[in-house]
Amino acid sequence: MTLPELTPEEIEERVTIDRSTRYPVMFFFTSAAAWLLVATLLGFISSLKLRLPGLWDDFSVLGYGRLFPAHLNALVYGWGMQAGVGVILWLMARLTRTQLSNRAGILVVGHIWNAGVTFAVLTVLIGYGNSLPLLDFPKWVWPFLSISYLLIVVGIIPMFCKRRESLVYVSEMYLIGAALWFPWIFITANIIIGKGTAPVMASGVGAWYITNLIYFWMAPVAIAVAYYIVPKIAGRPIYSHPLAQASFWLLAFLAGWTGFSRFMGGPFPAWMPAVSGAATIFILLAVLTTFFNLMATLKGCSKLWELSPSLRFTAFGMLMLALYAVLAAFSSTYSFGRDIQFSHFLVGLDTLAIYGFFSMTLFGAIYFIVPRITGAEWPSGKRIRTHFWYSTYGIITLVVSMLIGGIAQGGNLAQWDQTFSTSFVNSAAYVVGRALAWAMISFSNLSFLYQLTLMFIGKGRKSEGPTLIHANPGEAGSAKIAAGLQE
Amino acid sequence: MKPNKFVNLIGGLATAFALPLILLIIIPFVRQSDSVPIHYPEGQEIEGGVVAYPDATLYRFGSSDFGAQVYAAEGCAYCHTQVIRPTYAGPDMWRPGWGGREEDGLARETQPLDYSLEEIAPLGYQRIGQDLSNVGHRITTRELMHQHLLNPKDIDPDSGMPAYKHLYRKSPFGKGWDPTPKAEALVDYLLSLKKDQPLPEVASTGG
Repeated sequence: MTLPELTPEEIEERVTIDRSTRYPVMFFFTSAAAWLLVATLLGFISSLKLRLPGLWDDFSVLGYGRLFPAHLNALVYGWGMQAGVGVILWLMARLTRTQLSNRAGILVVGHIWNAGVTFAVLTVLIGYGNSLPLLDFPKWVWPFLSISYLLIVVGIIPMFCKRRESLVYVSEMYLIGAALWFPWIFITANIIIGKGTAPVMASGVGAWYITNLIYFWMAPVAIAVAYYIVPKIAGRPIYSHPLAQASFWLLAFLAGWTGFSRFMGGPFPAWMPAVSGAATIFILLAVLTTFFNLMATLKGCSKLWELSPSLRFTAFGMLMLALYAVLAAFSSTYSFGRDIQFSHFLVGLDTLAIYGFFSMTLFGAIYFIVPRITGAEWPSGKRIRTHFWYSTYGIITLVVSMLIGGIAQGGNLAQWDQTFSTSFVNSAAYVVGRALAWAMISFSNLSFLYQLTLMFIGKGRKSEGPTLIHANPGEAGSAKIAAGLQE
Repeated sequence: MKPNKFVNLIGGLATAFALPLILLIIIPFVRQSDSVPIHYPEGQEIEGGVVAYPDATLYRFGSSDFGAQVYAAEGCAYCHTQVIRPTYAGPDMWRPGWGGREEDGLARETQPLDYSLEEIAPLGYQRIGQDLSNVGHRITTRELMHQHLLNPKDIDPDSGMPAYKHLYRKSPFGKGWDPTPKAEALVDYLLSLKKDQPLPEVASTGG
């Protein structure tokens, strides 16, 4: 089945919509990529510091307990959320076929958001944090982030209401969900932590916030991207629309229950970790269904993997999403989870979510969107290849060393008759893997930021054909023809 | 798009979120905020005129509250947990000194009310260093605690803890280091970390 031909008017309309999003979306992408470089460097330094605790002892700012949270904040709020907001804006404009209005307002909001992230990272670094991952900035910082995010959401909803098509795309459902759920979890978590009346719940809500951020925000945005890009590039509709809707609602009704299984045997009523564990295991059904649906859409187009950077990043991201869901479910089972609790496994899982599936999918989206809104092609396919492979090597090194290191460390922690430092000494080698991985990821993102900056300042390649991974620039007119799929 | 279709979608999204929000977050939060100390029953007195669990004055002293802030700001909870799990979930209680004073038969898993003096319970993210729920029982003197912060490798050559030199100043007289108020507060807090106050025996209601 092939898609109907576009009329010249429709193509013209698409170009107008794309151009309307140019400045806000490019602003979000470029500042996100800059934050990503900062975050990956902080990740490298903090991992190094974990391996060599005596390094830079005299500097308070360079303690692991400050570098690691600063790295997480920069990675999630600086890179992840900004890139996500950029993708949401463009994708909503395209899907609802409306132009992005109030562009100046969005740019202002983007600056407020960046100010909020800067405050969050700096306050943690200079010692005003509260040790709750991703919520550890002082109380006056979170209104910056939530107000600027809410203003963007307020801008998206009218686009959705003004839409002229009767069909609601699955991607739109995911995007609306992500847009609305994030402020809700973020504000709830911050209010409960700010109250200070229930100390144990404050800590539990911190864990709940992280898994909710992953399953209520990162997964929906990434899946929305995949449901847009995969059919676009394969040139055929989604394999099963009902299946996509069913897995959406399954995810929606389960995601809010996750999180407490990080504290198995912790000071909570026993039903709370149990319910969270069960929810995490059932989410597997939604994620694997989505993964199957996307792979079935792609069936027979495997050659496109060789050519299209967007597809390659997105498909790899979805593979990592499936892997994340499986491992998260494993670590939520009582028999396995209790042994790896508090070990490196947790860091491996969180990074797999933030970088492995979310960031990789968003790179796919960015490689797709930027040429369309700037009207130029990516300067070099070779740099895209560098970005992909070093990111892939990096994230796989990180996840494998943290997962295996976590299991080894968990085993040592369970040997109660050995001295405690055994667990530290034995897992030291795996921490080297983590540092190396961040170095590779940093390197890969240097080439990403370089290319994106060229595109931002209008130095992209002006050409008829798209930049492909394994073809000289301009050689192949279209990825599909090169893959021998159509005509 | 028809307005009611949009309302349906938003309604569905809101319901999906509101259910766990109320049942998993709001209700446990309110119940915990309203929890009150439990009085010991007749015949289960403990020394020092302590009449209820938890008792605010039992372990806390000096500038422990400021010390808790230093503990949070230095990110101690990224490497140190403060959770003693029951034996079905892990052998934490079997490690010497982790669960409290074994010789008095007080070693036990941590309970929600043990954290009632904290603003945010520092349950922790990872366990790269030792669990600190009952560190006040394992390290009992100020000197030893300062040494732990200033030069952990003196105590355990395999220790992976960084030296917190920025909490100390070079002493103007001779060698050695002088603790800043932050270091003193942190030591107060660490020495006060004991989560083994005897639990009141709740009378069985029968039924």
